[in-house]
Amino acid sequence: MELREWALIAYSILAQMSVGAFLILGVVHFAATRKAGMEEADRLSDRVLVAIIITLGLGMLASLFHLGSVANAPSAVTNFATSWLSREILIGVVFAVLGIVFSAMQWFKLGSFASRRVIAWITAVVGIALVYSMTQIYMLPTQPAWNNFATPITFFVTTLLLGSLAIGVALVANYAYVQKKNPDCADVQCELLRYVTRWIAVAAVVLVGIELVVIPIYVAYLVATGSAAAMASAKMMVDPYSLVFTLRLVLAFIGAGVFGVFLYQNATNPGQEKMMGYMAYGAFALVLIAEVMGRFLFYATQRGVGLM
Amino acid sequence: MSNQLAFYFDASACSGCKACMAACKDRSDLAVGVNWRKVIQYGGGGWVPDPLDPRYPIPNNVYSYAVSVACMHCENPLCADVCPASAITKQADGTVLINTDLCIGCRYCEWACPYGAPQFNEGTGQMTKCDFCVDLQAQGLNPACVDACVMRALEVGDLDELRQEHGSIDAIEPLPLANITKPALVVKPHRHSSPSGQGAGRINDPFAEEV
Repeated sequence: MELREWALIAYSILAQMSVGAFLILGVVHFAATRKAGMEEADRLSDRVLVAIIITLGLGMLASLFHLGSVANAPSAVTNFATSWLSREILIGVVFAVLGIVFSAMQWFKLGSFASRRVIAWITAVVGIALVYSMTQIYMLPTQPAWNNFATPITFFVTTLLLGSLAIGVALVANYAYVQKKNPDCADVQCELLRYVTRWIAVAAVVLVGIELVVIPIYVAYLVATGSAAAMASAKMMVDPYSLVFTLRLVLAFIGAGVFGVFLYQNATNPGQEKMMGYMAYGAFALVLIAEVMGRFLFYATQRGVGLM
Repeated sequence: MSNQLAFYFDASACSGCKACMAACKDRSDLAVGVNWRKVIQYGGGGWVPDPLDPRYPIPNNVYSYAVSVACMHCENPLCADVCPASAITKQADGTVLINTDLCIGCRYCEWACPYGAPQFNEGTGQMTKCDFCVDLQAQGLNPACVDACVMRALEVGDLDELRQEHGSIDAIEPLPLANITKPALVVKPHRHSSPSGQGAGRINDPFAEEV
């Protein structure tokens, strides 16, 4: 693997994490508003919103390292009539611009609540379209390892799994920043944090469950299709990548499954906020490593049909 | 006339000598690792115990033949469809060419093409591929590979006319199925070759990347 391939891994993971985090943060903000009012919900989420935009920006920067001829990069949006890669880049730019506009409106409280909500909804829909366009890039008839059900499912699971755990980490960090003087966790913010974290833990457990079911079915599917290219891809999961493949599953299980359950418990009982924070960081770190390994395998085990 | 330039390849005549490949490499001054035309050796069969004395194996249906492959200048060029930069386009004469003023070097076309035609030039950071020697053809000359073939196994011509002359087979092993991109290719099969997707053999000399 060279720098250019790592650029693809970095971009696709960061972009999907940004979309997922934006969607999850929207849900969190909605729930927090209903529970404690808009002002407290904004305190919970405004800084996190800015972190999402920075993450997306880093991802898009990384994507440039994938190009052999960066000087021609502007031409990459011209073939949207037939190329999903052009569409993805266009949608990605629209998502970034909307994200920046919405963050600015939210940060400086520009416009009415209703108008901000409309922008947020549009941004969320564009974000989902972005991940969808990323899945379509790989649905090539000449790439059996990619051109199947697993690509859209795993991309969207990665989006939501990394998104929710990133939000968990961001909210814990945000809380530590907001409440430096009040470490005993007795205020509305802390209550909200524990409430939201419980649901993030539930989401992580469910999502990793889907992932751990889909991945073995995917490998079995590759073997069952019987085409030489699909078989070659499946074989690479065993040799030379059995260690990466196994670690990828184990780390996802420990990170989202085991840590997820502990996270839920810590978030249920008041007084365990410190441990809850550690669990949130640990779950995110493990799942991030697992997803990077998964995306590495996605590219490394690709084998095209014919004479590629 | 179909307004589609095409290659004709005679697998029954090809000796696998790779003169076409060398001529191509020389004419277009290709970088190391870039080969617009490749000759692929495909074969199968095996050994069985000799019925007269089972201690000794004897060959059983052993066969091998070569297929010379370049860009097929497909009627449905998937590479051009997926290129985000509109850098790959199909010309009026059917040739599929890369515009290096637009190519961003993302290598997406490499994933799309089942013939391995678009190839990355590490030096320029851009994709390259067979240009059908359009400059030579404009002077009424043949592409370099066609003229270099000592077995006269390669021809260039209009796709419809080549089909009338040689039939309409466009996919033998180890070429991919033709329905993916509709290659502008007419093949005369080798006596041991099977249609694409039905072969029991294998590629025996995975092309050496250092050429």
